[in-house]
Amino acid sequence: MTFAKRYLRVTHLLFVILLLIQLLPDRSTKEVFTGSLLTFAVAAEVVVLAVSAFIKNEKSLALLLDIAGFVYVVLSVWSLATAKFNVLNDLLFPAPGKVIHQFVDDRDKILVNVVSSLGTTLKGFLLAVVIAVPLGLFIGWSARVGGAATYITKFFSSIPPIVYIPYGIALLPTFKSVSVFVIFLATFWPVFAGTMSGVLGVDKKIIDSAKVLNVGKAEMLFRVILPASLQQIFLGCNQGLSVSFILLTSAEMIGARDGMGYYVKYYSDFGDYTRTITGLLVIGFVVIGVTFLFNKLQNRLLRWKA
Amino acid sequence: MTTNKIEIKDLTVNYTENRRSFNALHNVSFGVADGEFVSVIGASGCGKSTLLSVLEGLYAPAGGSVQISGKELHGTGTERGVVFQHYSLFPWMTTKKNIEFGIKQARRDIRRSERAKIADEYLNKVGLSGFGGKYPSQLSGGMQQRAAIARALAMDTEILLMDEPFSAIDPKNRVILQDLLLKLWEGDGTEPRKTVVFVTHDIDEAILLSDKIVVLTAHPGTVNEVVNVPFDRPRRRDDLVKTEEYTRFRNRLLSLLYNDIAERIGGDEVVL
Repeated sequence: MTFAKRYLRVTHLLFVILLLIQLLPDRSTKEVFTGSLLTFAVAAEVVVLAVSAFIKNEKSLALLLDIAGFVYVVLSVWSLATAKFNVLNDLLFPAPGKVIHQFVDDRDKILVNVVSSLGTTLKGFLLAVVIAVPLGLFIGWSARVGGAATYITKFFSSIPPIVYIPYGIALLPTFKSVSVFVIFLATFWPVFAGTMSGVLGVDKKIIDSAKVLNVGKAEMLFRVILPASLQQIFLGCNQGLSVSFILLTSAEMIGARDGMGYYVKYYSDFGDYTRTITGLLVIGFVVIGVTFLFNKLQNRLLRWKA
Repeated sequence: MTTNKIEIKDLTVNYTENRRSFNALHNVSFGVADGEFVSVIGASGCGKSTLLSVLEGLYAPAGGSVQISGKELHGTGTERGVVFQHYSLFPWMTTKKNIEFGIKQARRDIRRSERAKIADEYLNKVGLSGFGGKYPSQLSGGMQQRAAIARALAMDTEILLMDEPFSAIDPKNRVILQDLLLKLWEGDGTEPRKTVVFVTHDIDEAILLSDKIVVLTAHPGTVNEVVNVPFDRPRRRDDLVKTEEYTRFRNRLLSLLYNDIAERIGGDEVVL
């Protein structure tokens, strides 16, 4: 890549505009923490420049620059609408610098809540996967019950898992266990259904190929049928994972004592909208991070696919 | 009289499709001697692949018997190595792992480290050294079939069953693969040759490779004739196809194959 292609990009112009906007006088009645915003923006730009110096792939560079550009535009518009011209209610809409400042201030509390939310999700999700996959393999492979199981699964997976919450509260001792239970249900059915449809869809030629090698029963299930249906299993897992986050945060807003849903709900009850927005953004980043890692795992395990 | 390695007697196979049962093979009988290369040819739908699935142990016959080394055939078994037209290899295992898996299944006494060595050796034999770490999807169709042959050979089974292994390969690579199989099977004379049943619809392929050709007739599949291939080994394609004998023999097979079809269509003016 030429120097111009690498460094002379619109994104950097957007960064400069964001800085220039900060030179305008503040009109908000509240504190706006321009310093925090500047620190964040400069740090982001330094990272972007450093990465662009080493990146080899032109497409990845474009992706990075587009995302950074988007962030700069959002921050620019946001700070114009709040700190600079104060056209929005400054109680409901904190300035960007204020949210960044709040995040840094609250980092320990946020970390505790994120860890709590992730722990709950992981428990429910993993429990569901560990049970649903072998069960789906086994039942899907016993083709006799495969058909009936498909209908039963359709029935149960059509019940929105959120309606289990009141019953879960009556059934289980702690709110945490209710969250785990609901996430378990939300993940179990799509993963189970995905595994079964994966098993039922395995090419007969692959099964014949395994049969003539005289593979044993367990080996057939876990070394042949499992990898052959892995893509469908991941489809179910992805669905389960995205529903899990929706459910978890909803559940946490109902009655939990920690977790990101609780953080957002708790502070919005007190009218602390800076923390509310901070919480929203953190949830977004956590979900995107988990999804990213999960996709990495998926690509790794399915790297043999053409 | 010597006993055959594979003895098929009055084999009848019924196939059910859309709840209608039809007779795929009817009273098929022939034998394959130890170390013999036998091809089964016939028009599509004549039941030649069905015949092979019975030998593979994947399909149970309705009548008759199949004996292998004097014992009645029951289900699949690793004394028979199989090469299919597609998906002989597991797509989620690398080429080398596929071969190692085959060795593990067929030769339980061989250790893991030894398996890797044997796998490399056979990859080398089929011209795939350096491709062991690739997944099947990263290889061309021809290379996948080379790997499938390497696995079948590495399993060191007494019998090889090959179901149209080169049918999906482009003409140029098909020729290369046929020559490779011929060379590997004929060997250098130090080791006993494997017993092979090879299904194909390619007459030249059948003549080049086989000691004996079983010609099937369709609807239901019956044996039209079993023909001995009169050419000496080791064979070379170039020498073989030039001879007048070859042309005559090939024509005879063609008439066996297609007269049957011509009769069925009901006209003798069918041009082939």
